[in-house]
Amino acid sequence: MADQSIPIGGSLDVTPRDHERVPLLDRLHEWVVTVDHKRLGILYVLYALFFMAVAGAEALSMRIQLAVPNNHFLQPELYDQFFTMHGTTMVFLVGMPILFGIANYIVPLQIGARDMAFPRLNAFSFWLTAFGGILLYWSYIGGFGLYGMGNAPDVGWWAYAPLSTKPFSIGPTIDYWALALIVSGFGTLGTAINIIATTLSMRCKGMTLLRMPLFVWLMLVVSALTLITITPLTAAQVMLLLDRNLGAHFFDAQAGGSALLWIHFFWIFGHPEVYVLVLPVFGVASEIIPVFSRKAIFGYPAMVAASVGIAFVSLGVWAHHMFTVGMTSVSNTFFVLSTMLVGIPTGIKIFNWLATIWGGKVRFQTPMLFCVAFIFQFLIAGLTGIMLAVAPWDWQLHNSYFVIAHFHYVLVGAIVFNIFAAVYYWFPKVTGKMLSETLGKWHFWLFLIGFHLTFDTMHFVGIMGMPRSIYTYEANRGWGHLNFIISVGAFIQGIAVLIFFWNVIVSLRKGKEAGNDPWDAWTLEWATPSPPPAYNFASDPVVHSRRPLWDIKHPDDPDWKYES
Amino acid sequence: MSETVQQKSGPVHGQTIHLPAPTHWPIILAFGCTLAAGGLVMNLGISILGAVLMIAGCIGWFRQVLPHEAHEDVPVVVQPITIATRRRVVERIQIHPEHRAHLPVESYPVVSGIKGGIAGGVAMVIPAVIYGQIAHGSIWWAVNLLGGAGVAHWSHVTDAQIAAFHGDWLGIAIVIQAIVCSLVGLLYGAMLPMLPRHPILLGGVLAPLAWTGLLYSAMGIINPALNAHIAWGWFVASQIVFGVVAGLVVARQEKIRTSRGLPFVARMGIEAPGLIESNLDAGPPRSTRQNEEKH
Repeated sequence: MADQSIPIGGSLDVTPRDHERVPLLDRLHEWVVTVDHKRLGILYVLYALFFMAVAGAEALSMRIQLAVPNNHFLQPELYDQFFTMHGTTMVFLVGMPILFGIANYIVPLQIGARDMAFPRLNAFSFWLTAFGGILLYWSYIGGFGLYGMGNAPDVGWWAYAPLSTKPFSIGPTIDYWALALIVSGFGTLGTAINIIATTLSMRCKGMTLLRMPLFVWLMLVVSALTLITITPLTAAQVMLLLDRNLGAHFFDAQAGGSALLWIHFFWIFGHPEVYVLVLPVFGVASEIIPVFSRKAIFGYPAMVAASVGIAFVSLGVWAHHMFTVGMTSVSNTFFVLSTMLVGIPTGIKIFNWLATIWGGKVRFQTPMLFCVAFIFQFLIAGLTGIMLAVAPWDWQLHNSYFVIAHFHYVLVGAIVFNIFAAVYYWFPKVTGKMLSETLGKWHFWLFLIGFHLTFDTMHFVGIMGMPRSIYTYEANRGWGHLNFIISVGAFIQGIAVLIFFWNVIVSLRKGKEAGNDPWDAWTLEWATPSPPPAYNFASDPVVHSRRPLWDIKHPDDPDWKYES
Repeated sequence: MSETVQQKSGPVHGQTIHLPAPTHWPIILAFGCTLAAGGLVMNLGISILGAVLMIAGCIGWFRQVLPHEAHEDVPVVVQPITIATRRRVVERIQIHPEHRAHLPVESYPVVSGIKGGIAGGVAMVIPAVIYGQIAHGSIWWAVNLLGGAGVAHWSHVTDAQIAAFHGDWLGIAIVIQAIVCSLVGLLYGAMLPMLPRHPILLGGVLAPLAWTGLLYSAMGIINPALNAHIAWGWFVASQIVFGVVAGLVVARQEKIRTSRGLPFVARMGIEAPGLIESNLDAGPPRSTRQNEEKH
């Protein structure tokens, strides 16, 4: 076994800070032509945060519209555009880019590499994603020219046929939607290929697969899942474009096509897509919870196996979104059971996170607060998921606000909470500055309160029969008070996010210096300066366990003695 | 605080490090792709412009990497930085020997569960038949209740029909009984070694009671017609007979050692020399090393 007094080579070197004043245009040019994984990661995150603000504004507009009965704050057409663009933006332009951006920055550092395997492909992938998003929003102007409030896709983020076909959606807005997602989809595929190649071929000496940080493992799994799931969506969008523009009939039931085919294609992509979004944040939680509990992750091999298991099972559950379309009882039963199967590996993960916290010296700093909230919220999301996996229950609540509440519990309660945790955790590494703990706690508590006001209450209006996507409702339905509470909660979340942005700006200017390892953590990225130099590590690191920095900090009690 | 020193074993860097050179071709290619796509709904001229940019982007990109990849040399300056912790003391979580659940280092073979399930399944028929004979004058009553659940027109059945012999219902009942008892027996065989004490009492009596309570509360919703014909007292008796007999049969089988103490990779049957290091003698297994640091 190697001598544990030997440190990681890259930890010794820092590039001197360049104090020369570089003109703004030159600096912008550096970012435009960069192939550095760290800069591209930052670009991904900034891009996603911008669209998070846009989609958040759309959501708040919808909540004003629904806050009281018979409201006409928005025009009905604009409301339809907003819920379509909100969903599309949050999934394709916020969720995936921000998670792939964090992975872009962190994965090479955690495995001791100097860059991604294909740096130019990495840049190409980012710019494709970015231009895809711009093309989508260009539809407001280019859809039918800029008149009134403009035009944009208005068929929901799922764009079900036949609504999305030419006879029911005249004009080019759906074409914009399909083309924009095809373009950004190729960007996503490029990033996924890059992460897989980087993880498999560029790990530093000693970093076996079973010594990789769990975040890296999860990104490897997610990237493989992405390759499988983006493809059917792209194929379906090409078919939709052919239907709409060249007279094909894939989804035209009157000409021998099948509208159901679109739903199958969409959800073969759509359900694993949820896991593409949630698995990376499992990785985030698996990095943060041990560090703030001062313990090694509980059950590392089981966590890896559960991650692979979740990805595998997620490919066979798509039709639980389709219980109401009239499938056979055998199909219904299969998808009920396969969906429930997801609960097993997911349960393993939740128990392992709890077991990691159990008995630890827990520090409830902002990243940990978000992670703890995530565990319990994701548990509730999983339970309502199991409820909706039961076909008869789903028949009653399909397309109701109960479903909206369930998936926002996943997308916000789990994913967004952990994205914030990740930003608070790795911001010091990226910028060299600490985010303010005081503002961070304000952000956390307000966001938590707003989240529960909004999405807990949505379950109730859903059970009371309120359908999703409706523009307004009559006062006598009894949904008014609950919808008002939901809207209040949404605005509290909006305030919390503003505090977060304020925190970022203030901390960048006046934040406390972070140093290379502010959390006393154990993975390789903390062995580099903050921010890391362009080459990450001057000498190739050599690791001997899953926690290489633990081994250096505790030479008398290193992990490699115990890991099997 | 301990300050780290220069690594001895890793490759030593020079004055500079080669990194891929910045390039504008990826953004040009991406922009070209987007224009080519967007032009399909905007204007064909935009698509043509996009195609030109794509070609230019590809050519520029190829020239970046062929015949040799363009790179830049980033200068390296060495400065020592510190990797240290204030939390030098490591505590072990003390686990009382009685606290930890029993690890299934030994277990019953799979076949023992199936044997137990079959034996229990046969034994539980006895109280069911006795009940049918006493309460309804027919040994087929319970058989038909079980088999009838799988028949489409069951809800319209009369008491006389339930009491009579039906070959098809008997066949269905045998299939259901065989499958369910084998599966429950398997579960039994897997769980019995994990029950901390009184396995026969827990598995043979309490588990059937809990299972019956669950069915009792749900059967009225799942199948009200079947629920109306079930005598729950006798149902409990037959469940307990199943549990006790299956438990006894399983418990009489010889235990085998599990692979619980082996490394995960070995347990998964993966042959991967080098994937894990042979350090089994280096310390206690990971599951007992729940270390934590003092503040």
